[in-house]
Amino acid sequence: MSLLGIILTFSLVDNVVLSRLLGVCPCVGGPGGMRVTVSTSAATALLMSLSALAGWALQTFILAPLDLEFLRTPAFVLSVACIAGLLEVAARRMVPQLLRVAGVPLVGIAFNCATLGVVLIAVKGGFNALQSLVVGLAAGAGFFIALSLLTAIRERLEVEKVPSWLRGLPLHLISAGLLAYAFMAFDRAFLSRLFGGW
Amino acid sequence: MTRPSGFIRNNPVAAVLIGLCPAAAVTGRVIDALWMSLGLVFVLVLTRVSEAILRGLNKAPSGQRPSRPEPLRHTQSSQSLTAGWLGRLFLASCFTASFEVILQAFAPDESASLGIYVSLIAINCIVLDRVSEQRALGAPKATGTEILRALQDSIAVGAGFAVSLMVISLVREVLGAGTITLFPVGSFGGTVVVGNVSLEPARALIYTGGGFLCLGYLAGVARLLGHVRRREREQSRPEAGPV
Repeated sequence: MSLLGIILTFSLVDNVVLSRLLGVCPCVGGPGGMRVTVSTSAATALLMSLSALAGWALQTFILAPLDLEFLRTPAFVLSVACIAGLLEVAARRMVPQLLRVAGVPLVGIAFNCATLGVVLIAVKGGFNALQSLVVGLAAGAGFFIALSLLTAIRERLEVEKVPSWLRGLPLHLISAGLLAYAFMAFDRAFLSRLFGGW
Repeated sequence: MTRPSGFIRNNPVAAVLIGLCPAAAVTGRVIDALWMSLGLVFVLVLTRVSEAILRGLNKAPSGQRPSRPEPLRHTQSSQSLTAGWLGRLFLASCFTASFEVILQAFAPDESASLGIYVSLIAINCIVLDRVSEQRALGAPKATGTEILRALQDSIAVGAGFAVSLMVISLVREVLGAGTITLFPVGSFGGTVVVGNVSLEPARALIYTGGGFLCLGYLAGVARLLGHVRRREREQSRPEAGPV
């Protein structure tokens, strides 16, 4: 698969949130606001790409040669957690003002299903190092698309008149469902024809 | 001993709305939901019991009252990385890996159908919440009672998760495909076909969007029932029926 194909697949066709249903909790339950959305997605994309790279390295150099693939889950969970911890320390050291403005809990993002899910998908897809990195970035972009659309819908819904028993989370979930139907339009075969195959 | 509240009042999926990813993703078929719930209960029970036992081996501060199980909530955002937390994560992911191996051995088709969602039990919001650091801090040295309480609470939360998943998957599969997929037993092939629905099912429910829709309406109905019950209690009149 070419890099363009990977980017289109992981940001639109196989969108992490709307097609793979990973990382639903931060999308429908997290704090709103566009600034939080942008900073959360940027941090998620960074974490996803680094973790996908680390997952590729673990799989290629340790798990596959030693025939330890049943230990995939613990290895990936711990590596994602450690990368998130390191990133948080690095961010606090180097750009403390950024952390104060954005206020992203990196360790929290590490435990949303999306990050680990993307690592697992990338490893199962058998991508190489560069491709894994791009998969992480594209999935982060897909996360940003879904999160920003859902945030916008939420802000709009807050001023609408809705039944009281649906107000809040139930309505966010239903709008996410409708958005997922809309994203079914990003068909793999259609995009492949549009961009002359990948 | 306090009664665990994870089953109805604090049902993780319907009332508290955590652990939504598997609830929306693997409810396309009843059998998937069954195995997923089984996996969650397996991981939750083993992780919490072994964590309680391991904590008992440490010298814990004395003189604290045993903490009662708190209601579920979103803890993710406030978590910071510590050695104890990494240890708990390691325990959970190891039990998840064992469940993956078991699933592969006994139900290889199911293992392929569930895919990466089995691995994601390790960082499922419910598991993370139940074994998180803040909860363990107030807990004293693990005694038999403490371990028993951990067991009881995890089974209640796991059963609540299972019931929500069952409801969602039944709605989605019966309306979306007109079938109910279960285990093949003897001459029974494992699939119940629901007469008229299977001819023209509402296929949209089987797609990913259907998971979100059913989840949203389930949460709404759960809230509606809660409202109704609260209103009945406030008015305490027998004729105050549901709206």
